[in-house]
Amino acid sequence: MLRYAAERLVQAAVIVAFVAAISFALIHLAPGDPFSAAVDNPNVSDAIRDRLRAQYGFDRPLPEQFGRYVSQLARGELGWSFSHDRPVRDVLAHALPNTLLLMSIALVGSFALGILIAFVQVSRRGSVTDHVLSGTSLLFLSMPDFWLAILALLTFTYWIPIFPVGGAVDPVMHEYMGLGGRILDRVRHLVLPALTLTLLASASVARYQRAALIDVLPADYIRTARLKGLTERAILRRHALRNALLPTISLIGLSFPALLTGAVFIERVFAWPGMGYAVVNGIASRDYPLVVGAVILGSVMVTVGSFIADMLYARADPRLRAG
Amino acid sequence: MPVDPASPRQSPLGRILRHLLERPAPRLALSILTLIVLIGLLAPLIAPYDPAAQPDIVRMKDLPPSAAHPFGTDPYSRDVLSRVLYGARLSLLIGLLATVVSLTVGVAFGAIAGYAGGLIDTIMMRVLDAFLAIPRLLLLVAILAAWPRLSIGALILFLGLTGWFGLSRIVRGQVLALKHAEFVTAARALGASRRRILLRHLLPNLVSPIVVAATLGVAHVIVLEAGLSYLGIGVPQPGASWGNIIRDGSDQVAALWWMSLFPGLMMVLTVMTLNVLGESLRDAYDRSW
Amino acid sequence: MTAAGEAMTGSPASPIPLVSVKDLRTWFHMGSAVARSVDGVSFDIGAGETVGIVGESGCGKSVTALSILRLIQPPGRIEPGSRIEFEGKDLVSLGDEEIRHIRGNRISMIFQEPMSALNPVFTVGDQVAEVARIHGGVSRKEAWDRAVESLALTGIPAAGDRAKQYPHQLSGGMRQRVLIAMALMMKPALVIADEPTTALDVTIQAQILDLLVDLQKKFGTSILMITHDLGVIAETTSRVIVMYAGQVVEEAAVDELFSKPHHPYTEGLMFAMPHIGRDLERLNVIPGTVPAPTDWPHGCRFRDRCPYSWELCEREHPPLYQVGVAHTSRCHLAIEPERRNHPHPPLVVSQGAAVA
Repeated sequence: MLRYAAERLVQAAVIVAFVAAISFALIHLAPGDPFSAAVDNPNVSDAIRDRLRAQYGFDRPLPEQFGRYVSQLARGELGWSFSHDRPVRDVLAHALPNTLLLMSIALVGSFALGILIAFVQVSRRGSVTDHVLSGTSLLFLSMPDFWLAILALLTFTYWIPIFPVGGAVDPVMHEYMGLGGRILDRVRHLVLPALTLTLLASASVARYQRAALIDVLPADYIRTARLKGLTERAILRRHALRNALLPTISLIGLSFPALLTGAVFIERVFAWPGMGYAVVNGIASRDYPLVVGAVILGSVMVTVGSFIADMLYARADPRLRAG
Repeated sequence: MPVDPASPRQSPLGRILRHLLERPAPRLALSILTLIVLIGLLAPLIAPYDPAAQPDIVRMKDLPPSAAHPFGTDPYSRDVLSRVLYGARLSLLIGLLATVVSLTVGVAFGAIAGYAGGLIDTIMMRVLDAFLAIPRLLLLVAILAAWPRLSIGALILFLGLTGWFGLSRIVRGQVLALKHAEFVTAARALGASRRRILLRHLLPNLVSPIVVAATLGVAHVIVLEAGLSYLGIGVPQPGASWGNIIRDGSDQVAALWWMSLFPGLMMVLTVMTLNVLGESLRDAYDRSW
Repeated sequence: MTAAGEAMTGSPASPIPLVSVKDLRTWFHMGSAVARSVDGVSFDIGAGETVGIVGESGCGKSVTALSILRLIQPPGRIEPGSRIEFEGKDLVSLGDEEIRHIRGNRISMIFQEPMSALNPVFTVGDQVAEVARIHGGVSRKEAWDRAVESLALTGIPAAGDRAKQYPHQLSGGMRQRVLIAMALMMKPALVIADEPTTALDVTIQAQILDLLVDLQKKFGTSILMITHDLGVIAETTSRVIVMYAGQVVEEAAVDELFSKPHHPYTEGLMFAMPHIGRDLERLNVIPGTVPAPTDWPHGCRFRDRCPYSWELCEREHPPLYQVGVAHTSRCHLAIEPERRNHPHPPLVVSQGAAVA
């Protein structure tokens, strides 16, 4: 198991290295350089731009630039964000926890909901419930993330005003609330974005899990379980699910990209101050270092998530554990 | 069981289509999709107004749905219905072309990796893993944000160039498996060149995953392009893509609700039918073995 | 003998049989076609008896076994009119909960695929213990202890440690022992063994068979041994039922069957077995193949492959004739035995069909 972990770690490192290389290529393939992109920003004078170019080594030959880039990345240096007038690292560090919060809730929620739905579907296979749930999953799967977010916003903020319009906290009142009030305020702001992301993600989990359960059902050991006199429900719950959950664990790693992508749109619609929101604003203000920094960070997150999921899988499958 | 397609056979395509049309869901999906495609094709003929026309930016802007404008007008007084119809045209076109790019690159990459094997395969797969580690949206954002004012052609190209990773893996897997199939060995024994083997023997066995991936791929691209346009880095203005229309209404989401609702509904309908078709195709292929 | 008079096969062991299968019919309804896999099978199993069912693939023996425990899934169905009497109840008409109470508890079963019959994610001990937890209502600890005991009884060394292992850590023979342990946990009255040794190495086969015979003597369990292997029949059973085309075609005590087979199919099976010391140029083979269960032929179902058939065989479906003490055979040779002296090439051969 340890050897497997080491292998995967090396793989992950290689991947991150590639990501760095790709990002570097992107920065340099783009017309002009990141600093000319700020041409719309009148506050940045030519002199400053030249100084930044020199500082970032844009006047040096390419290989040297790559070297500096890599060493900077290794130090966690992601560049300077114009629109925030702070290092990219600071901006993202501030935004990251909010995105992580959203993604974690959605991850746990979507898997719980998805597995539950799949279980209900398979125990009532072929019934109306099964078909309706299948159709619903398909619907949510086919929906663009931002559209569901907009619909949710319209419904629960404007037409039935129960939730706040956006942000993470009430911009005016939050400071004046007591501890309980502040917690409630945060929760109220969290509900819609988290719920939307969860719903969107649970659709694919439900379908995947349903297929995995159905895959497992004809197995011989299911027949053995039936022979022992277990009820169909118990067979599903105890024997089938346990085996069908294994592929779902690997789904956890695979769902990080989708969750991150979804977060970008959800944060934009609900003005949730996370990484996605930062990226979107970065695009609007042509703050390229911020955008690239977020891409790198996002990739690292996905790689780390995938690594953790692989480790979980290895622990869960006894066949891999011993070997 | 793989078939040697270079030998005479009954048409597998006909079989697949028959299997596909057996169930009601794909039949319905196909009809709806055909309708949408027709709408896209005939948009110039059926749209009541010019989608780019801004007749009266003072008095005709932000009008809610009415008889004259069933989908209302936008902040530039453009008719939303016409824009939605043209949006079908544009989104489908982008989806299709981008998918063609993805398929070409994906199949080529996967087939070469699978067939070559060894070190080349390993390196190619590592490169693939690296690309897969970057969420597609973020990758596109990084590229497109660096190139402001991109043409639709370039957009299609980048969309295509970021969507071939999954298919290439599948193709590689299939090629690896088929590489050692008997009919390949037989062809080699007859002196067939590597390229000939790839194209005439292996490729036709890949039709099934390719077709499925293509269908689902178009669906993904449509959603992705809409998202990019919504963020402002997709189809350039004044292009009428569904994402753009929603973006135009995003400043006053509640007041201009029709600008979010109708394009979204069209999108969901299109993507759902594509998904249903893609999955039914996958089923039909599985069943016909 | 009329076709309506099916002979009663009395069990020599006890007057009231443990299990009495009466006219079992299990049909598979697939669209327009109906596969009559088990088409009117009747037999008894006495307490403490080992009865064998032998026949080639497709004759319906496995389906019979599955029917006893009501494990037939749609499109298969046990047809109305079938009865399986056990401990005063008719298994066919029992409710779901009642049949579940019997499975693993009063009647258990072992299959031929020990490789895949165990759940890979649970320990072997857990899976065996599960039986006690379902039926015994005992605590986890007690169920575990009983499981280890059961495992030890099947000859697994260091059973306590083995129980903590996972299926993939055990060999095929071990896994089959585990399944046997599972089957015996609740000291059932009947164990159905469906090809228990087919998937195992020859040397392990002998061990498992010995184990089964041993355990049967120890606990007085009845065993229904289902196999295509006459060697297994000879080793383990006291009474044999031969099945062909969904029906019983012969039934006799094992010694009688081997020394005086009556039905031409049984004869064919015996001669198809290679014997050490017998001089043969080619193995005898029964020409032709089993007809499809969707389309059983009229009259005797074996007649196309039979070297003695005549017009009666095509006209009338033979009933089970009594041909000896506790020996029945579904063959018209019972009333015209002299035809056995005039064999002819079976119809499939003379009609040009390839020899199977």
